[in-house]
Amino acid sequence: MARTLRTHALTLSLACATMLVPASLVTAQAQDKPLVIARDMDINSLDPSRGFCDTCQIVFSSTYARLVNLDKDNKTIVPMLAESWEINADQTKFTFKLNPKAKFSDGSPVEPKDVKWSLERLKNVKGSASYLVDPVKSIETPDAQTVVIDLTESNSEFLSVLTAPFLAIINSDVVAENGGDAGTDAATKDTAEQWLLANSAGAGPFVLSSYSPNQEVRLKRNDNYWGEAPAVSEIIMQQSKGGVSQLQLLEGGTADIAMQVDPTTAKSITNADIVVDTQPSLNMVYVALAPGAKGLPNPMGSKVREAIAHAIDYDGIIDLTVDGKGRRLATPIPEGFPGTGGAEPISYDVEKAKALMAEAGAADGFTIDAMYPNVNQYGVDYTLMMQKIQQDLAEIKIELNLEPVEFSVWRERVNGDGIPLTAVYFAPDFFGTSQYIQYFAMMDGTVWYKRAGAANDPELARPEVAGLLKKALSTGGAESDGYFRELAKGIAEDHIILPILSPDNVFVYRKGLEGLRFSACCNMVLSDISWK
Amino acid sequence: MASASALSAHAPARSFRLARPALVVGIGILIFWVVVALTVEFWAPYEPLKIVSRKLQPPSFSHWLGTDALGRDVLIRTFYGAQYSLTIAVIVVAASVTIGSVVGALSGFFGGWPDSILMRLVDITLSFPPVLLAMSIAASLGPGVQNTAIAIVVVWWPVYARLMRGQVLDVLSRDHIEAAVAGGASRTRLLLKHILPLSWTPTIISATMDFGQVVLLAASLSFIGLGAKPPTPEWGSMISEGAAHFYSWWIAFGPGLAILSIGLGCNFIGDTLRDMLDPKDE
Repeated sequence: MARTLRTHALTLSLACATMLVPASLVTAQAQDKPLVIARDMDINSLDPSRGFCDTCQIVFSSTYARLVNLDKDNKTIVPMLAESWEINADQTKFTFKLNPKAKFSDGSPVEPKDVKWSLERLKNVKGSASYLVDPVKSIETPDAQTVVIDLTESNSEFLSVLTAPFLAIINSDVVAENGGDAGTDAATKDTAEQWLLANSAGAGPFVLSSYSPNQEVRLKRNDNYWGEAPAVSEIIMQQSKGGVSQLQLLEGGTADIAMQVDPTTAKSITNADIVVDTQPSLNMVYVALAPGAKGLPNPMGSKVREAIAHAIDYDGIIDLTVDGKGRRLATPIPEGFPGTGGAEPISYDVEKAKALMAEAGAADGFTIDAMYPNVNQYGVDYTLMMQKIQQDLAEIKIELNLEPVEFSVWRERVNGDGIPLTAVYFAPDFFGTSQYIQYFAMMDGTVWYKRAGAANDPELARPEVAGLLKKALSTGGAESDGYFRELAKGIAEDHIILPILSPDNVFVYRKGLEGLRFSACCNMVLSDISWK
Repeated sequence: MASASALSAHAPARSFRLARPALVVGIGILIFWVVVALTVEFWAPYEPLKIVSRKLQPPSFSHWLGTDALGRDVLIRTFYGAQYSLTIAVIVVAASVTIGSVVGALSGFFGGWPDSILMRLVDITLSFPPVLLAMSIAASLGPGVQNTAIAIVVVWWPVYARLMRGQVLDVLSRDHIEAAVAGGASRTRLLLKHILPLSWTPTIISATMDFGQVVLLAASLSFIGLGAKPPTPEWGSMISEGAAHFYSWWIAFGPGLAILSIGLGCNFIGDTLRDMLDPKDE
């Protein structure tokens, strides 16, 4: 017993001695110790041409460079691999001059052929992100520093598209050696995905050192990085499901950043060593109506849809789900994007909703199915939100039959028979409004045109959308903004997509870290993070 | 409870002693929950689906177990939850005992190829981990209280079939059965009058103990999102909500305690019944 006590006393004095080490020394050592990020990772691939997920955005933007980058204001496009560029008047020809200093992690220079190979590979492997390069007609490499991208039609937002991490420029020689192929039949011929799960071949500030599915992703500082070297030498992203367990890893000292802690949980933190930082995000949680869904008991004409939009207690939902840490939206497009600003979100007005239901001849209400993915996304517990909406709509006698399902089941149903009322989320792939129009507008070919069942309900189609979008993309500045504004207004008036809230980003991290920020292109920019 | 009195009639040698405190406590717990489930609608001050207060309020005088993430009263929801859990458990146990006993009795009594076929079916079902099988069935049927019950019956009946078959085989080898056969008893009479009355004791004990297990399994399925649909106040889904709001301990406390008490109560009853009725323990 006496011996045990002595051992304890020794341990205690050693612990005290450790605490007395000068702060400056601790900081210097801190930059060398791995930074651990607890996160629920949704990685579907680590091949930049095939991966399409939020975690992929973080990993790709850290290990690969793109032609251009998005500045900290989340608006301005700044040089990255391209040091300068020119765009022709009708927004169809983009000419880039590469930075001669730029080199890959193996020390070889970034050449125009790598740009051509990477973008063609992205297009030809036909992955989820391939749609981003659909407008590309051809890529020419006239000299050792120049890349010319020709588009099939005008696209004033193409430069923004190039900031997306999926448009990573890959070291073509290295990846081709490991099975990479950029030809038209790359979808079947390219076999580099396996190699890219264990290696990266980019010109970003970090390199991938290892990846264990459902466990961790390890990134190391790129010793050959041509820009400003990142402060932290190693980053470990550790798989941890749910904000509560992430917070426990942080409180227990295993993790330094908990990425997906919801605001309600964050509010309960009492530990003085933990910082909670809330920033506006560009993410959107929305409800969608499908008037053309199969088996609908009552038609959902424009009046009924407007009634539903007025019957939802948006502020109540923001309070319930994210403890007030979220914003309302007038249209699905985030504030600050082209064509936004000035519009007021729809009012919560039960009386008006009841009147609209009566006008539509549906004063007695009806029951509809509401299948939704059983997720907790951006801090919003969907089951909680849907129960609130169920109570709200009961006020206008619309009864929701809630059915939470796995995401894959939801996707199959929403793309198949359609779901009369559902809820899901959206985050932009780049800074630009065209992606919203191409996803949400009632125009043949968009995702929600199909999901809303416009094929069964011809009244939904808005014939003017295609023309307006073309004009918006072939002009620039205020003129383009004006067309986008008109398009956004149309989406809001359709009441097919009802934006519920834009939840704030909550960063929860250890005191002493700095540089955490949300980026519209890249989610969280790891190279900006350092210890004070 | 009906089974308890019936059992004492079949075990006249043993006197029913109130000195078995575990049995009394077990029965007391079950009676409490049955009464709550049957009467809650008449005296509950709040409705289980209505928002009655601010969200995530800790226990207070007006809300004894606080409020959940939507602002509904946790205690009242827990009481209403008894309706779902007890109904599922009664249906599942009754259906499993019926199906299992019929299959087991026929299989043991007739032997031969019907026995082989039925027992292979039982073997196949039993070879799956029960929770995993119930999960897969519930997932393929979709969420809902009814589908949860179906999923659990499918994994539960083979246990009773096995039990009943073993018991029937055991009874078949006894002398008085041979005497009955020699006396010219028909096969039906033999099964119903001579074999079954001597075979069902283990099934009853097992069913009593399983009652708590079924409540737990149904709650587990709801916990992972395969059971009751929201906003049903089902215990498993309430605990799942509590897990998401880890720092508001009271959300999971009520339903957690409810499941614990029923599991404990059933084990008390089952254990005591086994002590009283199982001749091997003498």
